Amino acid sequence: MGRLKSRDLWRMALRSLFLQATFNYERQQGLGWAWALQPALERLYPDPVELRERLTEHTAYFNTQPTLASLALGAVAALEEGRAAGEGPDAAALARIKSVLGSSLAALGDRLFWFTLRPVAALLGVLVALGGSWLGAVALWVCYNLFHLGVRFLGVGWGYRAGTAVLDPAKRRRFERLTGLLGLLGTVLTGVTTAWLLVPGGEPRPLVFQTVLAAGLGLGLVAAARPRPSPTEWALGVGALCVAATWFR
Amino acid sequence: MSLQVFATLLLGGVAVLDATPIAQTLLSQPLVTATLLGAIWGEWRVALEVGVVLQILAASTSPIGARTPEDYASGGVVGAGVALAIVLRRHLLMLDDAAALVGVLAGLVTATFGVPLIKWQRRRNEGLSRWCEAEVRRGDGGATGAAQRAGVALAFAAGAAYCAACLALGVWLLGPLAGRHSLRLARAWTLAQPLWIGLGLAQLLQAFVQRRLIRAALFAMAMLAAWLLLMMTGH
Repeated sequence: MGRLKSRDLWRMALRSLFLQATFNYERQQGLGWAWALQPALERLYPDPVELRERLTEHTAYFNTQPTLASLALGAVAALEEGRAAGEGPDAAALARIKSVLGSSLAALGDRLFWFTLRPVAALLGVLVALGGSWLGAVALWVCYNLFHLGVRFLGVGWGYRAGTAVLDPAKRRRFERLTGLLGLLGTVLTGVTTAWLLVPGGEPRPLVFQTVLAAGLGLGLVAAARPRPSPTEWALGVGALCVAATWFR
Repeated sequence: MSLQVFATLLLGGVAVLDATPIAQTLLSQPLVTATLLGAIWGEWRVALEVGVVLQILAASTSPIGARTPEDYASGGVVGAGVALAIVLRRHLLMLDDAAALVGVLAGLVTATFGVPLIKWQRRRNEGLSRWCEAEVRRGDGGATGAAQRAGVALAFAAGAAYCAACLALGVWLLGPLAGRHSLRLARAWTLAQPLWIGLGLAQLLQAFVQRRLIRAALFAMAMLAAWLLLMMTGH
């Protein structure tokens, strides 16, 4: 049995990019998780029978927010290291810890990355692109990936060093504060984007455009209060109506 | 032209890979793919117009849990691709707007009908996952890597093929329509574009504000301040 080396952690971080390569409804990220953890397991369990047993166990159901999965990977690798040394939790306890880590990180990560950072990056990109610049796409990509790829590559090391304390109350509060701040930034960006749409470069748009934009905002707020139809279905319906309205006028 | 079509389909496959199987870096977002297609086809204006509308609508679509979201990765590529293929045949300003409208519509339809394809892939992956577990139990540790590679190859092939089919269908069906009725469709674009953008912005606003009065006030203040600043520093 050996201890994990930084090379193993980097290999895990790289493999974590493929966490959802075989995403499915039955085990969700299970197989991707096992593949990402495999370098650590191969280092820790030289006995092929034990390695096979641990690898099989990790192909079971697992799901979390993919960016923060790096933290869970590092923390579970640390637990596996303890277990291989005869100090850590047994297999059942390890599976329970992994499951709890997965759902806690999903709760934080979904809010931070999917509901906040992604829309903020998209708004920033749109705001730049509305001025006719191709740099909007760059702004979107860089704004998101500074956090996303940063956490993805460094997260395994953080998780490994922190172990099960990877989500202690202090870190959780920091994540929540970051989500709150990004939410405020998103609110401001929505306001600025709306203003830019109304008076791009200080030149007011025609009244028809401003009225229809306000109507779209109102309709969107009504639509957002209901789960069905989805925003895409609303957009399709609205588009078809606009074509029909001008076609038969 | 054929090189541009090939690059578009390649981008379709790469975007689908980025959306779920690999890395999720947002390379698959409509604004990014539309900008790349604008560079490939040498036409920025229409590409960005389609990209901005689809991006605002896509921004509120999230892949949470086992939910299968609309396929905006393919939608973004097909939407911008259809618009660019139409507009580069005959370059008229009215045709630009007509092409942007049919491009966004093609993108939305592609995103909606891409959902069953994603579900099909995920069901195929269930079989792959069970096969992998059986192989690992037999002692083949390399099965995990083989299964991952198969999952990536399947997603890329399905994404590129779906984009090819939608792009061909979109250009074949909507191209002549946009050419013949460019005036009507350009008028429809002047209505639909602000409606779509408003619809998408409202979804984002609702997600950010979350019924908090202070945030709603912050939105209003930011809008007013930006409006005043633009009016003062503009023309």
